[in-house]
Amino acid sequence: MFIKIGLIGKGNVGSCFLELLKIKKNYLNKKLNLKYKVIAIYEYDGALINEKGIDIDEILLLRNNFRSHKDWKENVKAIDSISNLNLDVCIDTTPTNPNTGEPALSHIFKALNNNINVISSSKGPFYLKYKEIHDLAKLKNLLVKYEATVASNVPILSIKDSLKGNEIISIKAILNGTSNYILSRMSSEGVAFSVALKEAQELGYAEADPTLDIEGYDAAGKLVILANELFCWSKTIKEVKIKGISKITQHAIELAKSEGLIIKHLAIAEKGTLIVEPRLIEKDSPLNIEGTLNVIELQTTYSGPIIIMGRGAGGYEAGSAILNDLISIHRIINNIK
Amino acid sequence: MINLEVRIPDTPGCLIELIKPISNNGGNIFGILHHHDKKINNMIPVNISFELNEELREKKLENIKQELRKSQIQIDNINLGIEQNNFIVILTGHVFDTDVVDTIKRLALKEIKVSELEAKFTEISEVSDVKFKFNFPESFTKEDVITEINKICQEKDLILIRS
Ligand SMILES: NC(=O)c1ccc[n+]([C@@H]2O[C@H](COP(=O)([O-])OP(=O)(O)OC[C@H]3O[C@@H](n4cnc5c(N)ncnc54)[C@H](OP(=O)(O)O)[C@@H]3O)[C@@H](O)[C@H]2O)c1
Repeated sequence: MFIKIGLIGKGNVGSCFLELLKIKKNYLNKKLNLKYKVIAIYEYDGALINEKGIDIDEILLLRNNFRSHKDWKENVKAIDSISNLNLDVCIDTTPTNPNTGEPALSHIFKALNNNINVISSSKGPFYLKYKEIHDLAKLKNLLVKYEATVASNVPILSIKDSLKGNEIISIKAILNGTSNYILSRMSSEGVAFSVALKEAQELGYAEADPTLDIEGYDAAGKLVILANELFCWSKTIKEVKIKGISKITQHAIELAKSEGLIIKHLAIAEKGTLIVEPRLIEKDSPLNIEGTLNVIELQTTYSGPIIIMGRGAGGYEAGSAILNDLISIHRIINNIK
Repeated sequence: MINLEVRIPDTPGCLIELIKPISNNGGNIFGILHHHDKKINNMIPVNISFELNEELREKKLENIKQELRKSQIQIDNINLGIEQNNFIVILTGHVFDTDVVDTIKRLALKEIKVSELEAKFTEISEVSDVKFKFNFPESFTKEDVITEINKICQEKDLILIRS
């Protein structure tokens, strides 16, 4: 049996995922008995559709000229079309409007309402409507996976399965690479906030409008998803107390340093509360990571601290998290141990 | 450093009953002092000092107390040590323009004492960054202190950077 896939969004993450599907095809087929067909690849202005399966190699070779492929259909929208293709899994990799969660939110509801399992790298829907999405999936007996939404391929959502015999007390994390890059540069090189931000933009770490990163909204969204997942909460981003880093000065960093401390933009979940704010940490704390890395420290009852760190962004990083989610879905729907 | 004052019976094996719960809960013991000279009713006062992992300190200390009670060891006093009641925050904003003396006095009224202060600013009317070291009574938790500082920060529009 083939798993029929619909991919929405062929940007950085979507394209890297397709490439990984190609690279790992043999492994998926032979080792995992996972046979797939990509039936549709949607963009905002049309879609590649082939019910027998799109030739991924051809699409990857065409790069940004994929609209010239014979399977391209102008003006076909995912929201109108996914219900007609008998898909098993719908993968959303569109950019999210942070206030509405769209277009991913509608894609997810549409897929679930039409009995299609969901994988998403778009986080908006999960920090805005976590409970609603899970309730619908449960009602429909479907799977929803979104490992890529928090720290990409750092397996922090799925760590839950490995900690069933333990108890998580608190989460402390650095979940936004841009703000961590800025604070790291301010601490190590003594540059001003504005200079570090400009550097981050030039290096492609920060968006032209960096507000969501530096004011903590991006980290807050990820924290909501992480805490909901690990603590079985149903919170939304409205419940996070958020403070940004744009007012952190070089002077504050120097004062902290004189005490062996460092300022980091931490995302914290404990005792029912969610906080994103600049905090003082010990210089030798495992949370003192440099550059654009992400780190998550779980305080547990029976194993003390558990720390996991890695690259929190990047097309292949997110693409491989999506592929892992696809493998999990394959295992569950085909009852493979 | 935690300092525990207990009384144990002057019988063989009792010291083990005192040490066991501390080491079972990950305590790092620094010293034990017996006051044989102060023995009353066959009970010897003992001081034991040890350190516990910061994160689970409260929970572990509670475990230790329970286990000691079970072994019938009487706890006379627990001193949580100076580190526990002393910490640093940085305030950013118009810390001086919004009357830093008033800030210090108001905290002192709540028994939160500023023991050290260091400021960095370009001009007195500009935004400044000020490091405060606080001392507070043992009956307070760090969160109680933060709540009090936060109230003032909100009123004076200051940014609190805490540990
Ligand atoms: N990049 C990362 O490192 C990373 C890591 C983890 C998670 N994520 C998340 O993954 C998602 C995708 O990120 P990305 O970096 O791949 O972004 P991207 O390069 O901008 O790709 C998004 C793609 O979706 C297309 N699109 C927009 N609206 C659409 C619609 N209504 N229907 C179909 N396609 C639509 C875009 O087309 P146009 O560009 O032509 O409009 C673009 O090709 C985002 O939600 C992001 O937050 C990204």
